[in-house]
Amino acid sequence: MSDAPVARPLTNAVRPEVLADKSDGGARPAHGARGTRNMKSKTREAIAAYVFLIPWLLGLAGFTLGPMIYSLYLSFTSYDLLSDPRWVGFRNYVQMFTADPRYLKSVSVTLIYVVVSVPLLLIVSMLLALLLNKSMKFLTGYRALFYVPSLLGASVAIAALWRLVFGADGILNKALAVFGIQHGSWVGNPDDALTTIITLTLWAFGSTMIIFLAGLKQIPKELSEAAAMDGAGTLRRFFSVTLPLMTPLIFFNALMGTIHAFQSFTGAYVVSGGTGGPADSTLFYTLYLYQRGFAQLDMGYASAMAWLLLAVLAAFSAFFFWTARFWVHYGDES
Amino acid sequence: MTTTTLPKAPLQIYPRRKTTNPVLAAVIRHALIICALVIMLYPVIWMVSASFRPENEIFNGLGLFSPNFTLDNYVNGWTSGSLNFSRYFLNSFLVTVLSIAGNLLACSVTAYAFARLSFPGKKFLFALLLGTMLLPSQVTLVPQYILFNKLEWINTYLPLVVPHWFGVDAFFIFLMVQFIRSLPRELDESARLDGCGHFRIFSRIIMPLAMPAIGTTAMFTFINTWNDFLGPLLYLNRTDLWTVPLGLNSFLDATGESSYGALFAMSVLSLAPIVGFFIVSQRLLLEGVATTGLK
Amino acid sequence: MRKAQHVKSTRFTLLAGAAATAILLAGCGGGTSVTANQAGTSAPDGKGDVKGDIQVSWWGGDSRNQKTNAVIDMFTGKNAGVTVDRQSADFAKYFDKLNVQAASKNLPCVVQLQGRQINDYTKRNVLLPLDGMVDSGAIDISDIPKAVVDAGRGTDGKLYFLPYGAAYDAVGVNTTLADQAGVGLPADGYNWSDFTQYLTTAQAKLPEGVTAANIGGGRPNYFIGWTQANGKTLFDKDGKLGFSKDDLKQYWAMWDDLRQKGVTISAQKSAEEPTAPDQSYLAHGESMTDTLPGNALTPATKTLTGAKPGQEMTTIPFPSGPKGSGNALYPSGFAISANCNNIPTAAAFVNFFTNDLEAGKSFASDNGAATNTKVLDAQLADPALSATKKHELELYKQIIAKNPPTIVFPAGYQSVFEDSFKRAYQEVSYGRMSIDQAVDKFFTEANAKLGQ
Repeated sequence: MSDAPVARPLTNAVRPEVLADKSDGGARPAHGARGTRNMKSKTREAIAAYVFLIPWLLGLAGFTLGPMIYSLYLSFTSYDLLSDPRWVGFRNYVQMFTADPRYLKSVSVTLIYVVVSVPLLLIVSMLLALLLNKSMKFLTGYRALFYVPSLLGASVAIAALWRLVFGADGILNKALAVFGIQHGSWVGNPDDALTTIITLTLWAFGSTMIIFLAGLKQIPKELSEAAAMDGAGTLRRFFSVTLPLMTPLIFFNALMGTIHAFQSFTGAYVVSGGTGGPADSTLFYTLYLYQRGFAQLDMGYASAMAWLLLAVLAAFSAFFFWTARFWVHYGDES
Repeated sequence: MTTTTLPKAPLQIYPRRKTTNPVLAAVIRHALIICALVIMLYPVIWMVSASFRPENEIFNGLGLFSPNFTLDNYVNGWTSGSLNFSRYFLNSFLVTVLSIAGNLLACSVTAYAFARLSFPGKKFLFALLLGTMLLPSQVTLVPQYILFNKLEWINTYLPLVVPHWFGVDAFFIFLMVQFIRSLPRELDESARLDGCGHFRIFSRIIMPLAMPAIGTTAMFTFINTWNDFLGPLLYLNRTDLWTVPLGLNSFLDATGESSYGALFAMSVLSLAPIVGFFIVSQRLLLEGVATTGLK
Repeated sequence: MRKAQHVKSTRFTLLAGAAATAILLAGCGGGTSVTANQAGTSAPDGKGDVKGDIQVSWWGGDSRNQKTNAVIDMFTGKNAGVTVDRQSADFAKYFDKLNVQAASKNLPCVVQLQGRQINDYTKRNVLLPLDGMVDSGAIDISDIPKAVVDAGRGTDGKLYFLPYGAAYDAVGVNTTLADQAGVGLPADGYNWSDFTQYLTTAQAKLPEGVTAANIGGGRPNYFIGWTQANGKTLFDKDGKLGFSKDDLKQYWAMWDDLRQKGVTISAQKSAEEPTAPDQSYLAHGESMTDTLPGNALTPATKTLTGAKPGQEMTTIPFPSGPKGSGNALYPSGFAISANCNNIPTAAAFVNFFTNDLEAGKSFASDNGAATNTKVLDAQLADPALSATKKHELELYKQIIAKNPPTIVFPAGYQSVFEDSFKRAYQEVSYGRMSIDQAVDKFFTEANAKLGQ
């Protein structure tokens, strides 16, 4: 994964590396240098790497892997938190698909959410990041204000605010009424409740935007300027310079966005008061997992749900990394 | 992406910005942004205005203005409980600062190794790194609590802070890896030819260039730690250790009397440090880099 | 070669470390509960020196925390050498934390619980029976009505928590709206058909946007009241549902008829309603009646005064039936955990909180009426008592005088029964299921988990 081979920029109009060569005179070390380095230097590099990795390796062994492995074990048990786990083999895994309609409901809710919210979130954040990357007055203030919704986090005030906007007598319906559109409650209607959660996600687009914005800041100005001098228009510059250089972060945001969306919990938890209602319409996967584990004291079952999700996400990530070789362009390759 | 609409002409005789009136374009752009902001922030503005209303008028209507303006919610909220919010804010700051420091240090060194060094076992470890993000955190809560209880870390900030010093937030490591990898490799190659060791390359070349990633990580860690509720709920019992979210939660009581006025007032105050930190960090980090530019 | 070995050994250390943690965790997950089992059978008498540390945990917000802290301060003031680690959180979070603590055999010594959850814990032997402590005199129950004490018993008949505050569900009525609609309050001893008639009559004359009732079909406590009034069994001895499907069909048909006539709020509005009783539609003057925890009258009235200045509300007993009044008690009290290592102090605290006159006056029946009759009478005699609080306490006395039924809730009641009941009726009220289908769904879900 970390050594995905060369990715070509999406268009052949302006190749960043050519521009880079133009701008710094083109003195670049030969690529062969790395390959011909001797054994000793390789060993030294490996030792250095492991020295750098010490804190993380300790954390992995001490804090992360133990609880993970233990939860894997729990997924094969019946465990009510209060008494000892009892080995049941694959029973939890089988039950999910044979005897639990709510599980299947939570899968479908989550899939719809992922498919709709992730692309929308990426597009909205990218557009806003481009807009806020211009130099203009009050820029800092604008960025901060656009970011405010993301700062609220899981604040208890969110539930009240969401009812205020999407309730039967909420702001949205008052606004629609101006245009003569009548609509019932959004949060209170099983057909619309998921839409309000997706809106909540999009509302808090700030974090994704900030990552894009930081990436845009990293793009050498010379590249864009050189392209402009070559006569490339704004759109053309975006697709031939900005976009290829942004691919590592687009990749990051898409992958992390998808993982987070599959694990999405807080929005639905806060807005539905932890129930996943109305009528299970916002019963997200991890929300149901939480209900099973902590309220119904079925931690074995919850662990099985979690590990199944891990397996699915691992397969998805592996596939996504494989596609990266076709479209992600890293600066450490050429 | 921009507010100007362009003719698709491949060649332009005049620089484009002269085709439209720059003042008009700026006015339109600002007007659009402000409109979008008002719509987006209306709920937050409403919350701020509600925090200045008397307790029992808070949920009356969608308007912003009440004739009965009051500061009571702020006064009562701040002094609530056996302690008051100044203590919770101090505690939150302590936990947040220690977490940010740990995260920046641990994640950046780990990310450097994964992004720039080649070593045996890299693929496996990187897969493991990503793997730790794939398990919903809800199921590791209990084993982690058991672990920290065994270590007798309950009622201390250790469970909230120490893991950050050991890079348990794979998200940030991955983020920094992506950032570092998008930096041209020529930079450290030439430094290496000049005889720089890995540590010097890391500290003198990569870190300064990865400032946006560091700023982002600091910002996200700030938000996550500042808003974290479940961790403090589980690990902090004594009120004198409480952080702001625990203080906020104590205004709610599903079985008795809630104080929404104080809740809104203190929620507004708790937003202030994050907004402030954001403004400072982006000034220092994002803008700072942009002016230095890449060499 | 050396490089390969180096890596191998690093990887090995890493895995070994992880495995060691896993073993450590597995080790503490198990084992200790054996002692819990033993403690469960040995029934300690709670006698001994009152000194050292205990932990006390309760649910509540800022206002209850202050009252509870005041009582704890009185306790530590009277018992030199005792320190108390205080833990509190809002209701739902409180139980999340408690369950995590229980998993780590790290429950606080003194744990606040209700009958609705108690058997989740008694089933797994994480609580101590208090009977031995009652026999030894460490805990005094002589001033508490028997029906209330019995609410602290588990399915095995042993006493597991000592109720200090008795909440009950009553019907909250917005008297201003009821007078406007010309119906006043229902007559004493009214039954369920009087009640539905009362609501229907009122609806015709209520202002636009106000309904006579909230969505009663989805309220477990209304249903419990209905079963008690009509002599139905809620749970059988195994903790499974004790009433028949026809009973529930009849009950839901009654409410759904009201809903379709517009006497209750719509399903959509019901889904939007905040769960706290002081933020309900009743408290905001949008619904004329609703079931209301008796002790929520004071906060709900406060909200109503702000939302609809000039309006007033009161609480009345549940509708009666052939088998008497339907008012069930939902007391809260303190239990002692099996992993507690300072039982004498824990027992002394539980006794103090419930029975001490000054402590009781200071706590002021914040979480249900004081169960100790002397404490209750002292509060009622206090001229400074607010009118709403006085009404809460007097209605409690009225209910207790009629010897209300004691309900033993099986394990899983709060997390399965209540949740499933609300969802099943939601399916009906959204028109997604027939009543028969919803009843089947509820029976399947509830019986799969109850009593386990």
